[in-house]
Amino acid sequence: MAGASRWANIDDLESQRKKEKEEKKRLKQLKQQQAETEAEALRAKKEQEELDSRPAKKRKLSPSPENRSASASSGEKRKLLRFEAGGWGPCRNVSNFETLNHIEEGTYGWVSRAKETATGEVVALKKMKMEYAQDGFPVTALREIQLLQHSKHQHVINLREVVMGDQLDEVYLVMDFIEHDLKSLQEIMPEPFLASEVKTLLLQLTSALDFLHTHWILHRDLKTSNILLNNRGILKIADFGMARRTSDPPPPNLTQLVVTLWYRAPELLLGTTTYDFAIDMWSLGCIFGELLSKEPLLQGKNEVDELSKIFSLCGIPTDMSWPGFRRLPNARSLKLPRDVEQNAGSIIRTKFPFLTTAGCGLLSSLLALNPESRPTAQDVLAHPYFKEAPKPKSAALFPTFPSKAGGEKRRRASPHAPVRGGAAPGLGGKEIDFSGIFARRDEEQHGAGFTLRMG
Amino acid sequence: MQPSHLATPLATIEQLETSGSQLDGIPADLEDSVRFAGARLTQAAGILLRLPQEIVAQAIVVFTRFFLGPEGGSLAEYDTKNISASSLYIIAKMSAWPKSPRNVINVYTYLDSLSSTFIDIEELERKHDAEEYYVSEGTFQSQKAQLFAIEPHILRVLGFQLHVSLPYTLCITYLQALDVFNQPRASELAKRAIARLNDALLSPQLLYLTHQSPCLATAAIYLAAKEVGVKLPDVEWWEVFDTDREELGFLVVGMLSVANFALEEKGKWGKRKVPMTVEELEVELESRRASNSEE
Repeated sequence: MAGASRWANIDDLESQRKKEKEEKKRLKQLKQQQAETEAEALRAKKEQEELDSRPAKKRKLSPSPENRSASASSGEKRKLLRFEAGGWGPCRNVSNFETLNHIEEGTYGWVSRAKETATGEVVALKKMKMEYAQDGFPVTALREIQLLQHSKHQHVINLREVVMGDQLDEVYLVMDFIEHDLKSLQEIMPEPFLASEVKTLLLQLTSALDFLHTHWILHRDLKTSNILLNNRGILKIADFGMARRTSDPPPPNLTQLVVTLWYRAPELLLGTTTYDFAIDMWSLGCIFGELLSKEPLLQGKNEVDELSKIFSLCGIPTDMSWPGFRRLPNARSLKLPRDVEQNAGSIIRTKFPFLTTAGCGLLSSLLALNPESRPTAQDVLAHPYFKEAPKPKSAALFPTFPSKAGGEKRRRASPHAPVRGGAAPGLGGKEIDFSGIFARRDEEQHGAGFTLRMG
Repeated sequence: MQPSHLATPLATIEQLETSGSQLDGIPADLEDSVRFAGARLTQAAGILLRLPQEIVAQAIVVFTRFFLGPEGGSLAEYDTKNISASSLYIIAKMSAWPKSPRNVINVYTYLDSLSSTFIDIEELERKHDAEEYYVSEGTFQSQKAQLFAIEPHILRVLGFQLHVSLPYTLCITYLQALDVFNQPRASELAKRAIARLNDALLSPQLLYLTHQSPCLATAAIYLAAKEVGVKLPDVEWWEVFDTDREELGFLVVGMLSVANFALEEKGKWGKRKVPMTVEELEVELESRRASNSEE
């Protein structure tokens, strides 16, 4: 492209501009005419109607001033959308913050409560673990930061900024400080959450999950210790150390080393490498059960034990209920009892005697062995369970509790999220016999209202 | 603020006014030359690494962001080619097309072995001695350490702001919305528009850091339609894509001027290499000082 054509183009632009101005004028006139005739027609119609309904009334013949101004404004300057995404600037130094106390150590970092010296604002400071450095700056840390930057939602923890230490491998996430996490909160609560409170928490959690899934983000480590709750009853999902973006169809060869054992979906335990949002929905089901009973629902000691706990709560998978599960890598080593009465729903019903039919329906659908049968976050939000009494409690009416995170270091009894780079666990290679799972089932009393435990 | 596919973080006026390099006494014209050569180097490396253009474009934007503003990196402190390599490496790493340090280092070593920045195609196609760009194990280790060491510097200067929204897919969507794909020369039009968007990545006016993707896409279509001779609607269609006449005019001129700038650069540097390291930059500054005192 030579210089001459550049100016030729400017001239071209100029003449085009003139032409377009005229065109614009013409269009404007046309539009005005059109609007006027339309207004006229409308007026006539209205008058006709008025005439029909109230024939005795005096007819209004002069056009009203409102109609005039409406037709004149149609030719005004069009409003264009403006897009803004802020800018960038260098990371501040962590010395702007003063550590108050440590909160916890997670798989991918240490969290402490800190105060910004200049403003006195209290924040949560997460120091990222940087030890997986065979590829340079850990891609897990980059992903966590990017996904948090891309997840601005009322029920997702807010990442304020990223700061660095004097050494460039010290990276800290500065986040809003939230008083509680659901796990330690439940440890100090004398009674489980009320049904109305469980509904509110579940709705908030699901709305965040719906947001993430709509944005193609898999969380992959949902558990009560990663779910925070402030003293105003607002819940926030935290810890995106395991999260990643996905696609439809899901990318092949995803790592199965995700989600803390107690919240891990059966397809992951059976070794699938292609999975989707349903793994988060399974975790949601586990959290739902935990909120109801104040106890983690499926506390397996290892992968095999976790599977056996799942099967005893949710039933044994069959080719009917979960077509194709036998093709999963770890399914070959399973020996499953035949002709077991499929009573998954009723076991859940027995375990949660105070849960309504709709509630039981929701919980059993979230804990469906077949990932295809689990509802989406959208489905959950629309579930009748939330419509029936008791209604979800307003967040503002939530009780407040003394904050553990604001005080002492807490203990962590639940297992950690699996560590990246480890070997994918099989189920020990041996044949695993689950045929005894339902051995004493018939000794239990089945019923909607109560449970009778034997032994 | 929820980042969107349509919005990209833009440079502030303060960042556009000056740069770390200028504060270190590097003349603005030399800075433009180095930045242009660095962006081209990133593009060339991206092609050799067989990376999709989206990844290359993001890397070029990150590279350009790094050297911008008084708090940005300075050419007197950072080797341009290292910033280019680390930008490309880090963007690829986060994408679905990660590239190993080995591949990145091999490609940059090869590009470094070429005799001049504005090399002729014939010269490029001539068979080169592979020894010129052989990477020994020792060199590899030290280069890899360098590649990794630069990463956190880029992240710090950018405040971890790696989000870049690009105009490529928007451009195709807009062409569809304009209903041009039933016209005979539509695919030529689309190619020209995409080529214009690639040009703009190299613009000394830093168009990708000063304008949003919808406007870039619109301007590229406007320009390409003129070049190819495809008739677009006889109304102010660009307003549908949220671009006003003034911005459209500015971007069209900006995109057109890239070619001229490139020719000027080629004429200015001839068979020489544009300095891509701090050391080479020092030599260039020294020779400029010497020729100034002679006059």
